[in-house]
Amino acid sequence: MRKKGLSFSLAIAFVLVATSLLMAQGAGDISQLARQNLRPYWHVFIAYILVWLILFGWVVSIARRLGRIERGLQGSGPPSGR
Amino acid sequence: MQLTGLRRTGVLLAIPGIALVLLLHWQVFFWVPTEVTMGVIQRIYYVHVPSAWVAFMAFGIVAACSAAYLWLGDERLDMAAVSAAEGGVLFTTIVLLTGPLWARTAWGTWWTWEPRLTSTLLLWFIYVGYLLLRGATDSPQRGKRFAAVLGILGILDIPLIHLSVTWFRSLHPQAVVMRPEGPQADPSMVITLLTGLAAFTLLFFAIMTYRYALERLTVERSTAFAGTPAPSVAGGGA
Repeated sequence: MRKKGLSFSLAIAFVLVATSLLMAQGAGDISQLARQNLRPYWHVFIAYILVWLILFGWVVSIARRLGRIERGLQGSGPPSGR
Repeated sequence: MQLTGLRRTGVLLAIPGIALVLLLHWQVFFWVPTEVTMGVIQRIYYVHVPSAWVAFMAFGIVAACSAAYLWLGDERLDMAAVSAAEGGVLFTTIVLLTGPLWARTAWGTWWTWEPRLTSTLLLWFIYVGYLLLRGATDSPQRGKRFAAVLGILGILDIPLIHLSVTWFRSLHPQAVVMRPEGPQADPSMVITLLTGLAAFTLLFFAIMTYRYALERLTVERSTAFAGTPAPSVAGGGA
């Protein structure tokens, strides 16, 4: 029973010492550091995605307007201009 | 029909454009080395600079076609101008969005009111104004003439944007390729940039051809129905 209590105390002490050592070395900032290091990658991907979304949007917009006019040509009504 | 020819031209321009876009992505993500001081964020440059180039070229087309339209009165020139202006505004939007994504890492801020950024934003406003002005008057013809004058005056902002980094104290990086003493970047970086320039130029002309076909169809159809030209379709749709 006494041996079990000593092991438990040693384990607790190890955890406390290890935690304090890691915190002293700045391990608490690991997630923040990771975010900072990964930020450029995210920004590059977002930039490329934005470029292709905007260009694709332009193509879709033209296709929709062209389709509307072509549908109007098949009907008989005058154009709305929009 | 002439529109069929325009569509075919658009496809012929789009095919090499898309092939070069695929090549550009391979070059950017697998081939070109990472820049030493800025790191991976510098790769935004390969879409940022070609977008700026295409925007300037588009506004050059707007100014040239607007001047010719005011002189000759040919509606086709106005159609070409509005088609180029729409593309120019979109490519300037790309420049204004990708720049801050780079600046957040390089400068620590999304935006600063430094000369090149401010004059580029001004350019965007000028050509958004060009598109809005066309439909802002009672007479479509008068709207087109007013917009043509703005399209010509707006081009004066482009030399200001280009020279702002040398004329004023600017945070924006200086040119590394278009220098009197030749490019200072690694050859693979210059090749990747040239691929981007060619890809974006071809894509712009491919889409602009379709936009011109749309404008032409709108005007021809409304002339056939009512005997008067319809207002431009700029700004409508999706």
